[in-house]
Amino acid sequence: MNAASAFWDGLTRGWGVDQPAVLALLVLALLPLVASAFRRRGIASTRLIPDDPLSVAVGAGLRLAGAVAIIALVLGLAGLHRREQSVEREGTGAHLVLLLDRSSSMDNSFADRAPTGDQESKSAAAKRLLAEFVARRPHDRIAVAAFSTSPMPVLPLTDHHEVVDAAIDAIDRPGLAFTDVGRGLALAFSYFADDTDESSRAVLLVSDGAALIDRRVQEALRDAAARTPVHLYWLFLRSRGAQGIYDVPASGDDSAQANPERHLHLFLQSLGVPYRAFEATSPQAVAQAITEIDRQETRPIRYVERIPRRDLVRPAFFVAALATALLLAAKLAERQLRPAGRGAKEGTDAIDLRRAA
Amino acid sequence: MKPPAGAHPSPEVRPVDLRPLPYRLRWRPEGIFPGAHPGRGEGSEGEFRRHVSLLRQPDPRRIDLRVSLRDPHGELHVRQFAPRRSVPVATLVDLSGSMRFGEAVAGRVADLCALLALSAVRSGDNFVLFGCDAGVNEAASLPLSRRRGLEEEVRACLIAAKPRGTGASGLFEAAGRLPGRRSLVFLVSDFLMPVAEIERLLDALWRHDVIPVVVRDGAVEEGLPRWGLIELGDLETGAARLVFMRPGLRTRWLRAARERQAALAALFTRRGLRPVDLKDALDTDALAQRLMEG
Repeated sequence: MNAASAFWDGLTRGWGVDQPAVLALLVLALLPLVASAFRRRGIASTRLIPDDPLSVAVGAGLRLAGAVAIIALVLGLAGLHRREQSVEREGTGAHLVLLLDRSSSMDNSFADRAPTGDQESKSAAAKRLLAEFVARRPHDRIAVAAFSTSPMPVLPLTDHHEVVDAAIDAIDRPGLAFTDVGRGLALAFSYFADDTDESSRAVLLVSDGAALIDRRVQEALRDAAARTPVHLYWLFLRSRGAQGIYDVPASGDDSAQANPERHLHLFLQSLGVPYRAFEATSPQAVAQAITEIDRQETRPIRYVERIPRRDLVRPAFFVAALATALLLAAKLAERQLRPAGRGAKEGTDAIDLRRAA
Repeated sequence: MKPPAGAHPSPEVRPVDLRPLPYRLRWRPEGIFPGAHPGRGEGSEGEFRRHVSLLRQPDPRRIDLRVSLRDPHGELHVRQFAPRRSVPVATLVDLSGSMRFGEAVAGRVADLCALLALSAVRSGDNFVLFGCDAGVNEAASLPLSRRRGLEEEVRACLIAAKPRGTGASGLFEAAGRLPGRRSLVFLVSDFLMPVAEIERLLDALWRHDVIPVVVRDGAVEEGLPRWGLIELGDLETGAARLVFMRPGLRTRWLRAARERQAALAALFTRRGLRPVDLKDALDTDALAQRLMEG
């Protein structure tokens, strides 16, 4: 019983009808096997008819056409459709978390001022370039998270690039106050927690500054990094005058408070996952960095493609119309025998009349 | 003379127009019943046969003086005649389902049998009709008789008969019920049964002078359409077949029909029988000629 239902499920998984009750009419498809479209004429013996495979084939074909016409009609009435399906495909891409800095400094231009004229704010540049990046990678599963004073999950890992586009579109909204990189990273790592796929995973951190990471958060991050092997990219949008991540201060003031960017870099390096930092001081540099990331993350990936529901009512009615037209043509081609029996009366009458005359 | 316009002869009127056909036998009927056919043995009147000497047939009433005087030996010659005897005429009608095709039984077969009955009665012969399907169909049979108006009874009998069933084993039963002496037997059938069965039937009728009447229909021969679809059901077994008619198949069909007729003709020829074709309509002239040839 179980096997039968499993078999039935397997058979009907891709297909469905709107009104299953109408399918009961499928019994009518047996009708052409017992009835015929033609008027049956008697013949003294079928042995009179020479054997003819073509006639047999035509007969079988017409019965089949009748059955097909009825089946197609019933399926059309029942509303046959192909269900929405998801097909697993292979491509190149990655599972990617975009971790976006939403602090208010992102709204400034690369000159660390409110953008004027044809200048572009950092967030606008990031938005434009990330949108292009996402558009170039159709098979990626992308999640979006933002952080400011606290981390904000925006979008879990998803195939729906429209949503990702919308999420990226929203990152140039005016930002909030602070920058809490540590918890943002923790959130980004947590996206991969239930991702068991063997594809490439990457976290793209886009920020224009850094901050201290709490020691406990640091521990949690090390844990998470050990558990989930990810590629880490830090796209550092460096404003003019801000400290770079590679700058070793000349004076002895090399504390995390004074140089948070440099120490974040050091911390990320120490996580033990593949890590690259890109220091971008202009939109062009950002573009270069993103191209580099694009080049790096090209491992094969399995992704699921969705095929929308397809209505098959029209094709069903078309098939029914074809089969019915075939039957109609056959019916119009029907001929009848003209036995002499009825004409015989007139014939003998004529003879008798002649004789009477 | 042209028939008056609108005078449409109804079936009730038409039998009046039946003309009895004379028929001749190639053999001498036995028996003692007087009739119209020159019989076996020696009679004192009837058809002249020969002269014999008075010593051989001491019947002085039949002395032929002219021949006796012409005889150089002076012997007396007596005229000898063949006695006139009657012969039973039997008609065995196959009433199996296949005979339903084209309403042959109610049409030309009934015409033929009525004509034969009339001819037999007019010749002073007894006529017996057997309608045979699985057995002898008593409703479609008439016992030996020579009464007037028998042809009407025969016709009514056959028009009312509904051919049915498969096979014609009734023909065998009827063969057993035929008169013991040699009779003139018309075997009316479409002869679509297996050849072995026809042979057995003819064996069963060995005693009699059999005239097979082969009922055919042009609709399944020359009347076939060249193109088109026909669904045909066997009138005996009910098996249906869809036939896609086309010139090639039509040619093959006609060839098969000709071969079947040739085989049937060969079968009859081997037994010295000359069949009568009953195709589409009763051809009285051809039948009369055939019967006069004996």
